Amino acid sequence: MPVISTKNLRKEYQSKSFSKEKIVALKDFSFEVNSGEIIGLLGPNGAGKTTLIKILLGIVFATDGEAKVFDQPISKEDYKKKVGYLPENHKYPNYLKGGQVLEYFGRLSGLDENTIKAKSREYLALFGIEKWDKTSIKKYSKGMMQRLGLAQSMMNDPELLFLDEPTDGVDPVGRKHIRDVLLHYKSRGKTIFINSHLLSEVELICDRVAILNKGELIRQGTIDEITNTGNNYKFITSDLSDELSNSLLMQYKAALRGKTEFMYSTESVEELNKLIDLLRSKGILIHNISLERNSLENMFINLVGEEQNQI
Amino acid sequence: MTFLALIKGTIQEAIAKKIILGFFALSSIIILIFLILVNTDSIEGMVEMMQASGEGGMKEVIVGFEVLIVNLSYLFIITISLIAVSSFIPSMVEKGNIDLLLSKPVSRFEILMGKFVGGIALIFINLAYLIVSIWLILSIKSGFWHFQFLYTIIWLTVSFAVIYSMVILLGLTTQSTILTAIITLFLVLIVTPLLGAREGIAEMFKNDVIKFVLDFFYYILPKPGGINDISMRMLTDQPIESWQPLITSLLFMLTMLTLSVYYFKKKDY
Repeated sequence: MPVISTKNLRKEYQSKSFSKEKIVALKDFSFEVNSGEIIGLLGPNGAGKTTLIKILLGIVFATDGEAKVFDQPISKEDYKKKVGYLPENHKYPNYLKGGQVLEYFGRLSGLDENTIKAKSREYLALFGIEKWDKTSIKKYSKGMMQRLGLAQSMMNDPELLFLDEPTDGVDPVGRKHIRDVLLHYKSRGKTIFINSHLLSEVELICDRVAILNKGELIRQGTIDEITNTGNNYKFITSDLSDELSNSLLMQYKAALRGKTEFMYSTESVEELNKLIDLLRSKGILIHNISLERNSLENMFINLVGEEQNQI
Repeated sequence: MTFLALIKGTIQEAIAKKIILGFFALSSIIILIFLILVNTDSIEGMVEMMQASGEGGMKEVIVGFEVLIVNLSYLFIITISLIAVSSFIPSMVEKGNIDLLLSKPVSRFEILMGKFVGGIALIFINLAYLIVSIWLILSIKSGFWHFQFLYTIIWLTVSFAVIYSMVILLGLTTQSTILTAIITLFLVLIVTPLLGAREGIAEMFKNDVIKFVLDFFYYILPKPGGINDISMRMLTDQPIESWQPLITSLLFMLTMLTLSVYYFKKKDY
């Protein structure tokens, strides 16, 4: 049973008050999230990522389509007991102290006082802000607020965690710590849904990604599936002669990158070995052969760029 | 549990915004002035004279003081307290805060009612502090325990609740503290007193359409002044001519709350 499932989800906003003109934030969005995975939702600004999360949390209402969380329709509040959420640019009542934020939202999550106390201590310590629990959040830095937000989102030990830009404003060491916490959380069988612009981070922790552009799901899959562009082999060799370079270019359609490096793309291991034999027969030393992978960032830019070019 | 957390959150907000401190300080100043006043020689002499003349005379003096305090409290409710609570809803629906609230397993109805009941509790506590203190001072000083005075806490709270329901709807729709306060004060301080004098105004114009329009708005808008008048009549043992101001005001409150809940339940944040 998927943790999240959406079918032909659509959201339209009025462009202006009293205007008939509509802005489509999500178009027939269908996808599923399985239990125990970390899924990253990627997309440029205005792609519909936050709208999707807000629909799944009942903050925004879908214009059409179906959405279920834990197999329950999102019109019911009950599923939220098993959900945690860190919104982007979250804003807690600024008169509260760190510990009070956790107490307040813990109570709203339906936790009893003993659990609230225990969990507050646990999560404040986990995110390294336990010394600041009695300090007004007005004095918190952006990074501390983000850590407090993460602690708040985990207070009810949710089965499903929605994180909108979780490492926003956090320094690199803090980001690494947050990644470790999330990976540990996942190892407990929890599902994490991350919405982030930091593609390198998504690449590091997500099992699967979904790419949205202009409200449409343009690609989804594991990081390998998304970034693997076929069997692209990178060769690093000793100096290639002009004759051999021409041969590589014409016969093998290789992409040369100077005198000692080229890319060769093939699905066949036999073809690959033939090329190696050719190089060796010409006395070329092979220093390295590696299967190249596209970075998620490159892939993302290509995909979104292609979409924009089509328009 | 969650509903109580919402009420507590509203009171916590009032404490943090120094609203409770302001109310407490203002009430304490009134109590202090009153305490000094009843201990002056002239008042003490008057009390002794009234005690000698029997319970009837004493009651008259005591009720006179009570009427003064109720009128002061009423003025306080329709001005300062309304301005103080008009920020509750706009700050609740601020982006980043409302998202979090709505992501919790609490219905939108409960969230709104938590704010409503929290605001009322806040005013009730403050009124109870002021009126019970004055009641104790008067009773101890005179030896005349006029329990009727304590009921005005309820009446004044009802007046506040009626107007606060409008503050909630305005806060949700405008999402602006200033606009909410301005519109509410305009309606309560200018429109409703004018409508209270609608018969005189209609008489001036001698026009049926104007009379109809004035009557229409008089009946659909709240009448906190009318509720206060009922409260005064009960305090001074006068017969109540009509319950209409209370009934129509309660209907207005119910309508405001229904509209607020409907709007809040449909709104995307």
